[in-house]
Amino acid sequence: MLRTLSIFLFLLAAAALSAAPDASRARLLAALVAPADQQVAAVRALVGLEDAALVPTLTAWRAAELYLVTTGTASPVPALLAPLPGDADGRLQALAVADGLPVKDPATGQPLTFAPKELKALDTTAPLRRAIRDVLEVAGVADPSPAVRRESIERLGQSRKADHLPLLQARLAIEFSPAVRSALQDAIAFIQLADPAVEVRLQAITDLAAAHSLAAAARFKEQIALPADAPGAASPVELAALKTAVKTIEDHWSRVNFFGNLFRGLSAGSVLLLIALGLAITFGLMGVINMAHGELMVVGAYATFVVQNLFAAAFGPGSLAFNFYFLAALPVAFAAAALVGLVIERGVIQFLYKRPLESLLATWGVSLALQQTFRLVFGPANVQINAPAWLQGGTALYDVAFAYNRLFVIGFAVLVVFGVWLVLNRTPLGLLVRAVMQNRQMASCIGVKTTRVNMLTFAFGSGLAGLAGACLSQLGNVGPGMGQLHIIDAFMVVVSGGVGNVLGSVAASLGIGVTDQLLQPVLGAVMGKILVLFAIILFLQWRPGGLFPTRSRSLD
Amino acid sequence: MLKKITQTLGAGAFALGALASALHAAETVKVGVLHSLSGTMAISETSLRDVLLFTFDEINAKGGVLGKKIEPVVVDGASNWPLFAEKAKQLLEQDKTAVTFGCWTSVSRKSVLPVYEQNNGLLFYPVQYEGEELSKNIFYTAEAVGQQATPGVDYLLNELGKKKFYLLGSDYVYPRTTNLVLKEYLASKKIPAANIKEVYTPFGHTDYQQIVAEIKQFAASGDACVVSTLNGDTNVPFFRELANAGIKSEDCPVMSFSVSEDEFRGLPTKDLVGHLGAWSYFMSLDTPANTAFKKNFFAWLEKSTVPGIEKKGRVTNSPMVLSYVGVYLWKAAVEKAGSFEVDKVRAALESGVVFDGPGGKATMQKNHHMTKNVYIGETLADGQFKILKSYEGVYGEPFLKGTFK
Repeated sequence: MLRTLSIFLFLLAAAALSAAPDASRARLLAALVAPADQQVAAVRALVGLEDAALVPTLTAWRAAELYLVTTGTASPVPALLAPLPGDADGRLQALAVADGLPVKDPATGQPLTFAPKELKALDTTAPLRRAIRDVLEVAGVADPSPAVRRESIERLGQSRKADHLPLLQARLAIEFSPAVRSALQDAIAFIQLADPAVEVRLQAITDLAAAHSLAAAARFKEQIALPADAPGAASPVELAALKTAVKTIEDHWSRVNFFGNLFRGLSAGSVLLLIALGLAITFGLMGVINMAHGELMVVGAYATFVVQNLFAAAFGPGSLAFNFYFLAALPVAFAAAALVGLVIERGVIQFLYKRPLESLLATWGVSLALQQTFRLVFGPANVQINAPAWLQGGTALYDVAFAYNRLFVIGFAVLVVFGVWLVLNRTPLGLLVRAVMQNRQMASCIGVKTTRVNMLTFAFGSGLAGLAGACLSQLGNVGPGMGQLHIIDAFMVVVSGGVGNVLGSVAASLGIGVTDQLLQPVLGAVMGKILVLFAIILFLQWRPGGLFPTRSRSLD
Repeated sequence: MLKKITQTLGAGAFALGALASALHAAETVKVGVLHSLSGTMAISETSLRDVLLFTFDEINAKGGVLGKKIEPVVVDGASNWPLFAEKAKQLLEQDKTAVTFGCWTSVSRKSVLPVYEQNNGLLFYPVQYEGEELSKNIFYTAEAVGQQATPGVDYLLNELGKKKFYLLGSDYVYPRTTNLVLKEYLASKKIPAANIKEVYTPFGHTDYQQIVAEIKQFAASGDACVVSTLNGDTNVPFFRELANAGIKSEDCPVMSFSVSEDEFRGLPTKDLVGHLGAWSYFMSLDTPANTAFKKNFFAWLEKSTVPGIEKKGRVTNSPMVLSYVGVYLWKAAVEKAGSFEVDKVRAALESGVVFDGPGGKATMQKNHHMTKNVYIGETLADGQFKILKSYEGVYGEPFLKGTFK
């Protein structure tokens, strides 16, 4: 979308300018085809070049979307690809950077059309892309999009070059977007830290502290650490200002980290909850030690993979409709896992309700068989699942980063818990389930078809595992061994929450998630995990029934 | 004693059979292939078996070694480290292989090491490793720390001007030893300890939220980079989280030492574009030797009748090429020594045989490691690397701990 827009703007601008071939365009073209060792310098020399083609051309180059088009015997022409008006085959026309006009066939004079695959994109390297970025940043200060302006300005500030100061100050005078204004003020303050006048420097320090700039804090600390007689050392007044500033900034970030940890804990807890919820029903309520629970999640994940491929085949992997494959995959994952659960219950578990240890062994066997089946069907390697566009990226609030896929998982976990509560407490099936789980014989005596209820409950729990698998496919890997990674976590949550109690699982998963994330920054991922496990052992010594122990005859 | 009796029996009672096998032995030389063809490591190691079988066929087609055809004995270590030792014993004592090509993980190598030393066997080891080991019975065609990690860091320091290093690794011996060396190396380059952060995650870790949040703040100053020794599929959640947090390769590049072209077959490369890798071979190397190697290998794959071999979407990578180079170095040494005897072959190898392989010239050193080229590459969207810089003829030194102090 943005690309189309920029090409459109380029077209407009090029049309306006094409009458007067000017020196600036020639410089741009020269930079594009400069020899490899001089290219970085040539690109850097483009800073401040006033040419409408500069930004679209460099942006496309950086994204490897600038192509060299060869026509007949003439030397290759750098060009951008743009959709051909009124053409349905997806063929593109090449707009030459030199004049913004379509590249024509020298023999017939007709515009040439291309598919991107037929052309070779102009190469870039990391140093070259950095040079392009630097040029674009200066140009970006006047970009129509506030987001681009802001990003460019932030970088210019970090570069701390005094020559950018007039450009930024000029922009501040006419800038209207508040976010960009604050970025401008930060950038100016950053550059002014090296100002000769002490008042300007002090003001800059205060401004940066108010903006909670981490980069500034690092810089301040370096300056504080300088010996008093070193060149560039701060005067006593300045030193005090620097120290206060560092403290303000660090306080801010420790608050940010605290809230960030809470969010990350919540998200980790939601993942645990989704994993464990199905087990809370099959193991917690029904008392079946289901070692194949992890593989039921894998069924859900592979179902997502299949739906993704179907969508990609039907609508094309880049299409708008493809982005909604995940929503379609959720019910499919539930159904597929529920079906497999149903088969396991009918085939194995129904004979083992009174023999929990045998059910442990039998379901372990089922889990091995399922893993091998996945290997045979989908291959031993992990399969690739592409996140839909709306689950990629993230946003930030008060400097705390929120990734969209994490937000989705939290929201989804809440929905699923609510759904489970509804099913168990507000439907006839739920009533029967609770009756059978409390006392199977008595329920049977008063006419409840316990075998049917068992079957449906197990299928429901398995379906929840499928949903968890679908969600996990957006966070981690999908492969035949994926279930084994999560089965321990699932049992950990259900046991510490209290067997036989869904609410206990909710509390336990959130507790474990938050504790894990709070410990991680201090102790590291490995030690954090060990400590959490250790804490759970101690907790279960103290309260063997878990957080919310249930008294039930079926469990005794 | 029992062995002796069976041997006597074998020689006496089955004279005819022994004669036949002796005749057979005159035409072929047995060579062991010891890789995991099942279990967790199978994904990576099966590729090495494939390339080894290809190399043997290539050599046999040109007349073999010292006029003898190579007869591969393929055994499966099954990602089970004690089993590796048993299989090695079988190769040496039962099959009497002249040489073995094998092992991927350091723990599998450590587990077969005593077997090779006891039986005076010969093992070629092709996968990047942490060093700190030198056995007279093992030749390490692998990248030592100084042939991957330190050139990688050099690139970050000198070409990209990075000043802050976030060392992230899976929690086992290779990342920990590598990072130990890197910390000493960085200290010798005047990088203060406060600018280095070292973090490990367990195998199969999927929750990188905390670490990515930390990297984001670490990289706020714009001069930071990540040096990653994360192994296997943990890279997927890591790079996905990194992309979601909006950390771009231009701001904070990730230099990975354990992600090669073969791993890209199972990774969403989109999230990795622009990040860096360091190896002594890249599939994208544009040299005649590499073009020929790729052409012949893929043609061989096409025709191959090895059961269950994957033919679609195959790539070549550094461990594969180092396996290939290992076979040719062994061949060169055998021809130089004029014998398959381990002691003579070792002496020939130590004298410095050379092979011009797909990754450039490789010379075996006296310390059983190789002098070879090291390349820094940048990930492209198609799962290949674009080569940014090459360091020619880097000496292989296994004992780096403490040398930069």
